[in-house]
Amino acid sequence: MKDLVGVLYKEVPSGVGSHGRLKLNSDDQRRVIVKGARWAVEQDFGSPEDLEKTESGGCMGDVDTSVVSDKAYERGRAQQGTLGSGNHFMEIQYVSEVYDEQAANAFGLYKDQVTVMIHTGSRGFGHQVCTDFLSSMNLASRKYEIPLADKELACAPFNTQEAQDYFSAMKGAANYAWANRQCVMHWCMESLSKVFGSSPQGLGLGLVYDVAHNIAKVEMHNVGCASKRLVVHRKGATRALPAGHPELASAYKHIGQPVLIPGDMGRASFVLVGTQGAMQQTFGSTCHGAGRVLSRHQAIKKAKGRAIWREMEDIGITVMSAGRGTLAEEMSEAYKDVTDVVDVVHEAGISKKVAMLKPIGVIKG
Amino acid sequence: MEQLNRLDKNRLEVPIGFKDGMRVHGLIYVNKRLEQLLEPQSIHQVANVAMLPGIVGASLAMPDIHTGYGFPIGGVAAFDIDSGGIISPGGVGYDIN
Repeated sequence: MKDLVGVLYKEVPSGVGSHGRLKLNSDDQRRVIVKGARWAVEQDFGSPEDLEKTESGGCMGDVDTSVVSDKAYERGRAQQGTLGSGNHFMEIQYVSEVYDEQAANAFGLYKDQVTVMIHTGSRGFGHQVCTDFLSSMNLASRKYEIPLADKELACAPFNTQEAQDYFSAMKGAANYAWANRQCVMHWCMESLSKVFGSSPQGLGLGLVYDVAHNIAKVEMHNVGCASKRLVVHRKGATRALPAGHPELASAYKHIGQPVLIPGDMGRASFVLVGTQGAMQQTFGSTCHGAGRVLSRHQAIKKAKGRAIWREMEDIGITVMSAGRGTLAEEMSEAYKDVTDVVDVVHEAGISKKVAMLKPIGVIKG
Repeated sequence: MEQLNRLDKNRLEVPIGFKDGMRVHGLIYVNKRLEQLLEPQSIHQVANVAMLPGIVGASLAMPDIHTGYGFPIGGVAAFDIDSGGIISPGGVGYDIN
């Protein structure tokens, strides 16, 4: 496990402001934010079938690249294909429990199977997009006379230029994130091939699903008796479409959308499946992870004098991290127990448990 | 300020009267155990989101809720485009996608 974690750590750049193996010029970067994961597949990172198993096919359309600031392009330039820092990670896990045989089977999961979970996003590019548009939205809130309980809720009516510009830039950042994970997954598969001396196909490697959890999308939902066009904001929430939903690709249409719930690095993660209950109650949404109980600062304080990596090693989990403080920030006690979180969404019927995954090797940024 | 109402084992309601100006109620998906971990500020954030123009249904929060920038993390909110519904960068956050 140490060797494998070491190879993955070496092959996929991680850490704050980490620079990747790709150097994109400005034309490349525009292609990334217009095409998303499709761009990565065109560069031979992964296969077209991966896009079928990615939310929105890994691309939100109609991105106007001119609304993105130079600073965002600058920050994003060297970070495509990198893991980043904070709660972003790559984990080697195994399926410790299967709750729904039929769904697990459809997703290609079975008990004791080894899996890899990748959690990363749009890196500095998306961060800059958010920063840039918070200031323009502040002005817009005043212009459109929207009373705000908190200035952090700055917003604009969707049918205004200010809103459309933000939406365009946000879609660009979402596409950057889909491309990023596609590249990271490809290098991860390459690394596994190298370590085990067999092709990705020979090892039976394939994508289960790629899903977003910090995004706004225009979707049709029933409100009362009418079908309405809504801007659905999911901030730390995951889309959870039921079987038969028109937006699901053929691979999962009969069973429902896979939902990935990363837990903390010491306990577990989950795979769920979307339900009709989510469409009726939560605009097709469910939870996204464990949720912090300690702030990063509190966690660092609590971990003082402890060797978190050794505590993990003692419970059979190999960890490598680029940042010195990251392991303290990310220790299990900093999070709610993901099992409690998942039990609530399962019992409430807004998604159903399919499998539990337990970590054995962790790469943190 | 009105109190929170437990609707069932897994849902806590933030009633419209919890704060002035709420257009819809809030619904937080937590059982009693996770309710103990709720940060007061995150509940206020659920109520604040309920005041935004065009919001439909409820200002929702998943059981992994915690305090975020403006909107709570774990939050779901939908706005009707044809009724002045808004989009907000705080409703997506810094770590886009």
